[in-house]
Amino acid sequence: MSSPRVTSLLLCVAFALTLGVSAFGAPAGVHVELREPTAGPIATAPWPGETKIAETFTDEVFGFFELPQKYVATGVRADRAFPTLFRATAEVRLPAGKHRLLLRSRGTARLLIDGKKILETPFAQPAAFAVGNAGELPVEPQETYLNLGPEFRFATPGNREEWGAFEFTGAPVTVVLETVIGGIEPKGKKPFRPELGETIVAFSPAGSTAWWLLSPSERTVPYTDAGWAAYEAERRAHLATVNTAARAAKRAESSAYWASRRAAANAWLASTPEVAVPSLRAGFPATNVIDHFIADRIATVAAEYAPLKKGSVDFYRDVKPILETRCFSCHQGAKVKGGLRLDSLAAALKGGKVDGPALIAGHPETSPIIQRITSTDSEEVMPAKGDPLPTKEIDVLKTWIKEGAAWPAFPVTSFALTPLTDDLTFLRRVTLDTAGVVPSESEIAAFRALPAISRRTATIDRLLADPRWADQWMPYWLDVLAENPNLINPTLNNTGPFRWWIYESLLDNKPLDLFVTELIRQEGSERFGGPAGFSVASQNDVPMAAKGIIVSSAFLGVEMKCARCHDAPTHASKQQDLMQLAAMLGAKAIKLPVTSTVAMDHLRLGGREPLIESTLPAGTAVAPAWSFAEFCDEGGAAPLAERPGDPRDRLAALVTAPQNERFAQVMANRIWQRFMDRGLVETVGDWEKSQPSHPELLRWLARELVRSGYDSKALARVILNSHAYQRSTDRSLAATGPLFTAPAPRRIAAEQFVDSLFVATGKPFAVEPVNLDIDSVRTIENALDLGRASRAWMLASTSNERDRPSLMLPRIQAVAEVLEVFGWRGARPDASSGVREVAANVLQPALLSNGTMTTWLTRLSDDHGLTRLALESQSLDALVERLFLRMFTRTPTAMERKIYTDLLRPGYDKRVAPAFAASSGAAPTPPRVRPKYVAWSNHMKSEANSWRLAEEADARRGDPATSRLEPDWRRRLEDVTWALVNAPEWTHIL
Amino acid sequence: MNRRTFLAQSAALATAATTLPRAFGASSSPAAASPSTVVSAPRGKAEHCIFIWLGGGMSQIDTFDPKKRGNSKSAPSLPGTDYDLIDTAVPGVRYTEHLAQTARLAEHVTAVRTVNHTLGIEHALATNYVHTGRPVSGSTIYPSMGSIIAHERGAVSSELPPYLLIGYPSVSRGPGFLGAKHGYIYLVDTESGPAGFMPPEGIDPARVAGRQRLLAPLQQRAADDAVLTDYAEVQREALRLAGPGFMRHFKLGEETASVRQRYGGEFGQRCLLARRLVQAGVRFIEVSHNLNFINGAGWDTHNAGQLNQHILIRELDNALSALISDLQEKRLLDKTLIVMGTEFGRPGQFDSGGGRGHQSSAFSLVLAGGGLRHRGAYGVTDALAGKPVEHSVSVPDFHATVYAALGINPAKDLVNASRPVPITDGGKPIAALFG
Repeated sequence: MSSPRVTSLLLCVAFALTLGVSAFGAPAGVHVELREPTAGPIATAPWPGETKIAETFTDEVFGFFELPQKYVATGVRADRAFPTLFRATAEVRLPAGKHRLLLRSRGTARLLIDGKKILETPFAQPAAFAVGNAGELPVEPQETYLNLGPEFRFATPGNREEWGAFEFTGAPVTVVLETVIGGIEPKGKKPFRPELGETIVAFSPAGSTAWWLLSPSERTVPYTDAGWAAYEAERRAHLATVNTAARAAKRAESSAYWASRRAAANAWLASTPEVAVPSLRAGFPATNVIDHFIADRIATVAAEYAPLKKGSVDFYRDVKPILETRCFSCHQGAKVKGGLRLDSLAAALKGGKVDGPALIAGHPETSPIIQRITSTDSEEVMPAKGDPLPTKEIDVLKTWIKEGAAWPAFPVTSFALTPLTDDLTFLRRVTLDTAGVVPSESEIAAFRALPAISRRTATIDRLLADPRWADQWMPYWLDVLAENPNLINPTLNNTGPFRWWIYESLLDNKPLDLFVTELIRQEGSERFGGPAGFSVASQNDVPMAAKGIIVSSAFLGVEMKCARCHDAPTHASKQQDLMQLAAMLGAKAIKLPVTSTVAMDHLRLGGREPLIESTLPAGTAVAPAWSFAEFCDEGGAAPLAERPGDPRDRLAALVTAPQNERFAQVMANRIWQRFMDRGLVETVGDWEKSQPSHPELLRWLARELVRSGYDSKALARVILNSHAYQRSTDRSLAATGPLFTAPAPRRIAAEQFVDSLFVATGKPFAVEPVNLDIDSVRTIENALDLGRASRAWMLASTSNERDRPSLMLPRIQAVAEVLEVFGWRGARPDASSGVREVAANVLQPALLSNGTMTTWLTRLSDDHGLTRLALESQSLDALVERLFLRMFTRTPTAMERKIYTDLLRPGYDKRVAPAFAASSGAAPTPPRVRPKYVAWSNHMKSEANSWRLAEEADARRGDPATSRLEPDWRRRLEDVTWALVNAPEWTHIL
Repeated sequence: MNRRTFLAQSAALATAATTLPRAFGASSSPAAASPSTVVSAPRGKAEHCIFIWLGGGMSQIDTFDPKKRGNSKSAPSLPGTDYDLIDTAVPGVRYTEHLAQTARLAEHVTAVRTVNHTLGIEHALATNYVHTGRPVSGSTIYPSMGSIIAHERGAVSSELPPYLLIGYPSVSRGPGFLGAKHGYIYLVDTESGPAGFMPPEGIDPARVAGRQRLLAPLQQRAADDAVLTDYAEVQREALRLAGPGFMRHFKLGEETASVRQRYGGEFGQRCLLARRLVQAGVRFIEVSHNLNFINGAGWDTHNAGQLNQHILIRELDNALSALISDLQEKRLLDKTLIVMGTEFGRPGQFDSGGGRGHQSSAFSLVLAGGGLRHRGAYGVTDALAGKPVEHSVSVPDFHATVYAALGINPAKDLVNASRPVPITDGGKPIAALFG
């Protein structure tokens, strides 16, 4: 006898046979119209009045959760009208009989059959808002919910529903589903997030308890939890394709302008001299032009180095660190205190305004630098601020001067190159550098299958075409551009979630000049992922000044942080320069608020002349103007702007014009630094503080970038194919040297580490939605939905400043705590250079050994990748080898192989648990209940706090272990997994 | 060599100089403050700090700064204190009836009643301000009080972390520009133990030992590498901390039943844990009172949150008084400054739901122990505790008082990259509490 479920399936198949073609003979589909209100004030009524069609598309069934993105300008995300009417229409034929229909929606919705309204859900958001915005939505209603069958999918938080049974004749009917998205909250007149939630029509045929999404064709989608999950995954992939095409179409609209920019760039290249590529020095390996430059520099420096005399003190090991930590903050770069620079021997010998030459080689006792650091006069002693130098450091400096003050141009300990790295080490390195995760077993196998002669080049090409390229670069741009959205009320320098614009730009491999232009134009959606989100800095008195700091450092290598409130004491920028830039970014004059200035009188109270100066009085109006004439002449480049009269567009053109060589060089240097560990200009965001180690190579790379059409992948391809990139690491090095003879091991980024651990173990990355307003009761200015994270960069701070258990996201926290100790910042209120400096600290291994995330990674649950691996039929030796390949992209050493096979051998043949005694004796399945949910809307309720604490305990406990592996053996494999996850080798890229 | 490698090498040298591995900055003497920034600030002798955080905004008028009796339940409501007033051990100083036990110990307590700020009444922003003493900046992240004290004073013993948090991680509680090294180790409740140091459920000591044996060859592999050895070293340190030496401090079961009972529920147990950590040598412990299931709202007593506020206050009273008298019995009170913080206070008037809104123009932060000259209360507010009338205290002043009590010069410059940042934003310690 067949179960009810099988019966219903049969029924459904029977229906499907009768369907498939609409009455008009066209392929059946659901026709969707997005309708915007025609002119008039924003309607706060549930339903907008008159509307007109803005967009249309076709879908397969009556199941919707997300709309295709709307793109404007050159393909940036934009908002639709608030509210927008969503209307889905299809001709559907149901067999004769009385069938049940279910309507679900986020906003108000109605279902019409042949023009007659049969179901309607209310516009419940305003009512929920009234109490939910204060967090006081009652929790008791969660006790009662619709349950219409054994596999019935319960409504997810924030979805309204209505159902009924209706008589059908068997003739085709016209089904119309209408809903309102982004409705207006009547009191504050602010829109709700334009979300569909789960807007569906489902039906359950007469006599059945099963539910399907209503479909006009043979396409059937079971409306169960599993059925919906599969459908959603499929449609997300489809939406991604649709969105990509839509962006390409928008960009094509401005292709004429960008073609003219390419022509201008080519003309500029033709009119300026090329960089001469040095011929390859004898005895040096080379796989491309980069290696010529590198070899040339090594040979030149080696020749300079030979005659330098050596004393007991080594300048770079002993002296430079003292200068760096004690002196450089005031005596390095273009603008220095007292006119004294201590960043080169020549400058130190030239000396400053007061003391003359800072040192006299051979004579520490008469060298002013020694007198200063040993002075007891508080007016004279150096450093002017902070602690005096410890005796040990003073002695080092004295000895160094006494021994002749040898100061070589570069810190070189060896001129010898390391050989090419072995194949698997290369594969791991290049995969982490491009895809952000370690290679999978199948990637390793594919790599090994390639002919040895071309496998590296072919793999580089494959990885450059891999969409994970975007994931690998996301953390970098989130840091550099200080993307800082928050899930609830904007406070601490929050921005919009322009992560989605960055992500799509990377997916599209957008030319860097277009990328920067879009950022500076700040168009599109502010709250839902357009570059307009960059324009926001909540609680900031001059948001555009904050953005100016980011733009100047990110794209021009000019650090203007200090100029935010006063003239930079040790940089060339004045406050005026930053405010001019800010005015360009804001497209209007800025009146300097008193809160962005420093009262000099106050600073002068304490004895010594203050270190800073302020030349721009509060209240000054600063007009938009180009502050960087030294990089690019305004007259030559401004006409390149698409709209030269628009200050933003003008700024974009001035920054990205080919004439502005600084821009291409800064971008080339950033790309170089990412792959080579060290920038050609070491301080990638602050070019005043270091000189290029390879000025010719830098210019060559920058011109290649321009020539490629500002294509970062093209430049990456050249770098990745160089011998310099592919050399073995020198594992005795703590940092890569300036001659690039050998790379040092590089610290793995937090996101790479976490993502790789999930990939290598095969444990699904399953955390809560990155959203505290999951039932959508708040309006758009106070709550964001950052979606479901599948990679670490998609998370955001769960920083719970309110300190309320109910506002925790325990699973996200379990991952975020690991990310944070390895250098990720969930909150990014200030700009960063993009180079993270994260020292080893005790919390890193602590969280990896005992943290919640490690519990998930090392518990062999049913859905764990290593459970599947262990169940495969293979020798123990093969299993251990595969574990090492997955984790470390290498085979185990003989000792490792022995230790782990010895441990796992007892019981290996019996590791698969006997088919567990079916249902006999098993506890009866508890009745299905709709899970309780905690959201902002109810977080002030005591139950919500208790529920969340229970979720936290669940997260900490992790998923149960599989019963498919024999428990004792499974525990031993878990212990092996724990050891592999905790191996120090994970922390660096070799 | 760049700064990073220098610091790494310096750290390595520091390690080599001692026979014990050091995960944490060693103790520094308070006298070691920079001589270039000498100011005539008073200096206390406290060695530890327990910072109790009442998230949501404790209603000062219902606790430490009571005024004339009001009524939240009458229609219309009558502005004023919602409870009866009682005398304290300090003549002339009164608290509300639900603080009866603390009132008896008031000679060890000072409720600073005139703290105020103009940072607004948004929780996150104000929480950040009261933790860091500085308004949010666009160009830097300021360190929390805990991180500054950890940075300036280090741990009492290099065997211990200087800064522990019992509560949720947040930027406000973090190290800001001082760097991760000066951050906290945290636990969310007394059961779960510190994140990263308590082996997960089901992993017994035998299994821990077995796992470490399996890890050994993988650690061995790192032995010759310059950078991997750094990690292998902190890893050994982490495993040591996860061992019985450090973890025993978290075993509240070692306390007698009567002591545990005296401290009361989960919040009290956190205070008891804080005392154990002080005894062990931890420098700074932040203890969050966020048991929001009691009334839903925690200290954010809007509307109906007011109804059960007295339960929260009594629980606080019980734990705080237990902590003060326990520290006193163990002769630790003069060495341990108890600070009670909250992001703002609440107005004397009631909202339409019988609760209270937010108020930052005057609120109470409380100090106890720490060798200060206590006086039950400091500063005077107006008739409904809405504004300071006498001895206004800014948040930087309050911070300066805490730092001074711990022997830290509140005007000393910290260094953020190359920029000098004074520890407090011009804060002046409350002189009356010293000497």
